[in-house]
Amino acid sequence: MENYILPPEPLTNEAIAARLTAGARNGIANGSVKKKNLVYLELNGCSGNIISLLNGANPDFEYMIGSMVNLVYSNSLMAAEGEKAIERLMNALDEDYILAVEGAVSLRDNGLYNIIGTWKGKPLTGLEAAKMLGEKASHILAVGACATHGGVSAARPNPSQSVGLQDVLPDKNMIKLPGCPVHPDWFLGTLAHILLYGDPDTDNLGRPLMFYSTLIHDRCPRRPFFDRGIFAEKLGDKTCLFKLGCRGPVTRTDCPTRQWNGHVNWPIGDDTPCIGCAQFGFPDAMAPFISYDTTRVVKDE
Amino acid sequence: MQNIRMLQQQVNSLITQARQDIYSISATSDPTAKQVKLQRIWDALTSIQFLNDLLAAHAASSIAPANDRPPMNTMPAGQPISPTAANPAVAVPNQTFTIQDLANYDGKNGRPAYVAVSGVVYDVTNNRAWAAATHFGLVSGRDYTQEFASCHAGQQSILATLPVVGRLI
Repeated sequence: MENYILPPEPLTNEAIAARLTAGARNGIANGSVKKKNLVYLELNGCSGNIISLLNGANPDFEYMIGSMVNLVYSNSLMAAEGEKAIERLMNALDEDYILAVEGAVSLRDNGLYNIIGTWKGKPLTGLEAAKMLGEKASHILAVGACATHGGVSAARPNPSQSVGLQDVLPDKNMIKLPGCPVHPDWFLGTLAHILLYGDPDTDNLGRPLMFYSTLIHDRCPRRPFFDRGIFAEKLGDKTCLFKLGCRGPVTRTDCPTRQWNGHVNWPIGDDTPCIGCAQFGFPDAMAPFISYDTTRVVKDE
Repeated sequence: MQNIRMLQQQVNSLITQARQDIYSISATSDPTAKQVKLQRIWDALTSIQFLNDLLAAHAASSIAPANDRPPMNTMPAGQPISPTAANPAVAVPNQTFTIQDLANYDGKNGRPAYVAVSGVVYDVTNNRAWAAATHFGLVSGRDYTQEFASCHAGQQSILATLPVVGRLI
């Protein structure tokens, strides 16, 4: 009887995070959870995902690198530079590690459009690094729209011939976390799940169900306006943004309840349509992001 | 006054439904049924919130009827309008379209949005997946038999939910 959490069990983000953190701490203390190495590789992208990650809370980034994993390599955040940094990357190959990749893989000219460093005097391309590290990783996380399906880097006309990570590692299982950028909770939550319980349940596209199972439309606070056919005519209107091109009806994430910037707000909460950044095919398949000459009923008809 | 009465009745019936759902969730162990019920409770709560806003707008307008009236006050309150009813272009189901006719229904400037699949023309104006009359890079007013087969093979249920407006000839 002693370990039951009786209702009402606090379900705030802070309370859930506190329970998970305590679980992980106990696990590390009694030896059932092992700190793993994490290689965070940034390829052809804008570094938006790592910046988003620094904004994480419950747990925050500092807790992640200190207590959850050993961050052995990160293009942006490590102190080592030049060949010294790449040496750490190469040393990581000898041990067990989780690989997180953000950014697309550029295929043009054998990957020469995206060079992440030099090793023994030769340029190390993102393509080589992704293949080499992906083959040996115990778990692979494709972080953000570019890594999951090419994203902005692969948008037309795609001069660097960028592709998603799965295209260069076709036989590897990977967890895909689409989003532009990824929400820090989606990344840190998935990482924590791997450490505590192993791979999370995913849908047939590799997205963890705990974050990507419901449509934004089904949890949208403006849903009653849609059901009653009341549509916004311009940005800033408080009604349903469907006629302006809102992609909430096709995008599967938990934005309406999770929210961004430390759980402060989210696009529709600030009166702009969802642009579907967490849907496969973003941005080309989600265009136009906003449309004014659309099916809204005009007065003289 | 009548409207306020109807709003109140709607709120009450939503609350009754939510109570019933909470009761059945506590009784069931089937996770799928649970999910469906939870979804319905969520929807009921958002509707209650919406109706509450309406009531507040009513109350505000009865105190200060002069200017700053919230725009939602002008809508026919209390009667849920189905999204299709908002579209005035009512077409005859046995209407025929050529591919050129179909191109006019592109969802621009207030025109309805139609698409054709396997010779049948469907109205997607208010379909949830066709925001701004576009769907994953496809624009309305065209024949998408091929595209439907490549993405939604065997999912005829998607088409079954769409209003049919005619045939493509």
